[in-house]
Amino acid sequence: MSAFFLDIRIAFLSLIEHRRRAAFLGIAIAAVTALLVILNGLAAGIRGTLIDTALTLSTGHLNVGGFYKVTSGQAGMVVTEYKKVEDAVKRDLPEADFMVERGRGWGKLVSDTGSMQAAVSGIDIERESAFKGVLRVESGNIDELAQPKTILIFDAQAKKLKLKVGDALTISAQTTRGVANTIDCRVVAIAEDVGLLSQWNVFVSNESLRTLYQLRSDVAGVIQIHLKPQYQNDLAPLAARLRLALEHDGYRVMEADSRAFWMKIQDVTREEWTGQKLDVTTWEDELSFMMWTLQAFNGLSLVLMVILVAIMVTGIMNTMWIAIRERTREIGTLRAIGMQRGGVLRMFLWESLLLGLLGGSAGAVLGFGLAALLNASKIHVPLSVQLFLMSDTVRVAVLLPALLGAIALISVVTGLAALYPALRAARLKPVDAMSHFG
Amino acid sequence: MSKRSVLQLIAFLFAFPVFALAARTARAAPSKDELVQILKVVDDRQRNQGDWRSSIYMEQKEKDKVAVVYEALVFRRSSDQKFMILFTKPKASQGQGYLRIDQNLWFYDPAVGKWERRTERERIGGTNSRRSDFDESRLAEEYDPEDSGEEKLGVYNAQVMTLKGKPGLDLAFPVIKLWVDKDTKNVLKRQEFALSGKLLRTSYYPKWQKIYSESRKGDIWYPQEIRFYDEVEKQNSTLILIKTVDLKPLEANLFTKAWLESKSR
Repeated sequence: MSAFFLDIRIAFLSLIEHRRRAAFLGIAIAAVTALLVILNGLAAGIRGTLIDTALTLSTGHLNVGGFYKVTSGQAGMVVTEYKKVEDAVKRDLPEADFMVERGRGWGKLVSDTGSMQAAVSGIDIERESAFKGVLRVESGNIDELAQPKTILIFDAQAKKLKLKVGDALTISAQTTRGVANTIDCRVVAIAEDVGLLSQWNVFVSNESLRTLYQLRSDVAGVIQIHLKPQYQNDLAPLAARLRLALEHDGYRVMEADSRAFWMKIQDVTREEWTGQKLDVTTWEDELSFMMWTLQAFNGLSLVLMVILVAIMVTGIMNTMWIAIRERTREIGTLRAIGMQRGGVLRMFLWESLLLGLLGGSAGAVLGFGLAALLNASKIHVPLSVQLFLMSDTVRVAVLLPALLGAIALISVVTGLAALYPALRAARLKPVDAMSHFG
Repeated sequence: MSKRSVLQLIAFLFAFPVFALAARTARAAPSKDELVQILKVVDDRQRNQGDWRSSIYMEQKEKDKVAVVYEALVFRRSSDQKFMILFTKPKASQGQGYLRIDQNLWFYDPAVGKWERRTERERIGGTNSRRSDFDESRLAEEYDPEDSGEEKLGVYNAQVMTLKGKPGLDLAFPVIKLWVDKDTKNVLKRQEFALSGKLLRTSYYPKWQKIYSESRKGDIWYPQEIRFYDEVEKQNSTLILIKTVDLKPLEANLFTKAWLESKSR
C-alpha cells in the first residue's frame, strides 16, 4: 500500500517538477474533455427535449391506437369504444400511471391568406395540465381550447398563415367515410415553436375533431399510456405483453411495427380487412421518423471525438517521448539506486494518469460551466436548426454520470497513450541512461 | 253599358296583366319526381352505354405557385363501371395513372413501381378535380333532388336544384347545388358543399359538345370545358379541357394493372 502511495507521490512531484510541460498538456486535455462534455450534453439535451416534448404533445410511453376500416379501401385512425379499451388496459397493465385519450386527424388549414397541411390532434385540455406546462403560450389563452371550434397553433404556423389570436381558420378534411367536411375554428392560443413536432401539429378540442370527422363520442384517436417512473425503460416487453393481453381480451391487434402511426396508413389501406384493429406502440416507434436526427448528431459527435482524442493521444505520446528523452539520465540514476523496470513504468504511467485525471476534471468543470452559460444565455437558433434541436434555444443537459464518464475516458486514454513510451523508458539500461547526453 | 260595367271592364283590363305576371312569377314548383326525371335526362344525355376514350388537359392554379399542367387519357367502360386515367404529360408524371377496380381507386407511380389504394374522393393529380368529374354522370342514382327555383345564367334559363346524397352512399360532396339549362338539360353550374354546409367548390360548364355514339345509336353530350373554383382557398382554380373523345370499343384487357404498368416501360 505504501509503495502505491509512493508511486503516486513520485508521479505527482514529477508533474510539479515539470509543471510547464504538464500545464501545456493538461490544458489540451481539459479542452478536449470540455468539448466532450458539451457534445454529450447537447446530445442528451436534444434527447431530453425530444422526450419531454413528445411525451406531452404527441405520444404516451405506450399508445393504443389503431385503424377502423369502413370498407377495405378506407381507413380511419380511430379506436372505437375506447372506454372499453381503456378498461382493458387498466386491467392488463398495472404499470400504467395514467392515461389520456387524444384525437388523430390530418387536414388542410386554410386562412384568408394561405393554407397548409397539418396533423390535427384532439385534446381534452381540462384533463391535461402537463400539456399547459410544456407549451409556452406567446399569445392567447390555452384554457379556451376547452370551448368548441377553437384551435391552438404554433408560432411558425401563425406566421405562415398570417394569423393572430381571435382570427378564424378553416380546417378541411375528409371523414372516415371519405365525405368532405370543414369546421371553422377560432385561434385561441399561439404557442412558441417546439422543433419538428410543432411544424405540422395543431390542437383542437376532442369534440371539434369528432365534429370534423363525424365520429361518435365513444371514438378516440389514441389512448396514450403514461407509465410509472420505474417502468419507463421497459417499453418493449410491456408493449408485447399488452398486445397479447388485448388479443386475449378479444381485440384484433396489429403486429409490432416500429413506425409512427401515420406511416402505416398506406399499408393499412392496401390491406383487405375491414373493422377495427388496435395498434400498440412505444414512444420510440411514434418518433422513429425523428430519431435519425439524434442518431446523426451522435454519429457526428463520435467522429469529432475520435479525431480530437487521436490528436490528443498523438500530443501526449510526443510529449512523453520528449520527457523521457529529457529525463533519460534521471531514469538511469533511479535504476542505478535500485528502482526496478516496473517502477519506472509505473512512474510514467501514473504521471500520465494523474495528468489525465487532473486535466479531465478541470475540463469537466469547464464543460459544465460552459453548458450552464449556454443554457442561461437561451441562445435562439434558426428554424432549420430548431428542427434538429427540438427546441428554439440551445439546451445542454450535463448529467453527473456523463461528467464522470468523460473524466474516466480521458484518464484511461491518457494512460494508454503513455504506455508505449513508458515501456521504452523502463527498458533503458542504467549504464546507457546515465551516460546519455542531450 | 252602364257606368258601373264600364268601370268593371276598365278594372279588368288593368288587372289582367298584373294577375298574369303574378301567375308567371309564382310558377308551379316542379315535383320531386319531375326533378328526378330532369336528373335522369342530365345523366342520360352523357351516357354512351359503351366505351369511352378521351384526352384531357388539366391546369391547376394556386396562389404563389407556378401553374401545374397535366395531359392525360381517360378510359371508361359503361357496362361494368370501369375507369382509368393515364397521365401523358408532363414528363415527370408520364406513366402515372389511376385505375378503378370494383369500388377502389388505385394509383400507380412508375417511379416507385408501386400501387397505392386511394380514396374514391382523391384529388386527381393534386388538382381540384375528382374521379367523378371524369366518370359517367350518376346524379339520379346518387342524390335526391329538391327544387331551388329558377335562375337566369347569362342567356340561359336554369332550373336550380339542391341535391342531397342518398343515405348509405359514400360521396365526396354530400350536398350539391345544380343549375341545369331548362332547354337542353345540360349542366351549367354546380356548387358542392361540405357536411358542415360550407361551400367548397363552384364549377362552371361553359361548353357542351355532342358526338355520335354507335353503341347508343344516338348523340351523347360531354362538357368540353370545366372550370373549378376552390371556394375555401379562393385563389385556387382548375381548368379541364376535354380535347378529343373516341367512343370506339376499347381492348378487353385495358382496365388492368398490368396494362397501366406496361405504359411506363
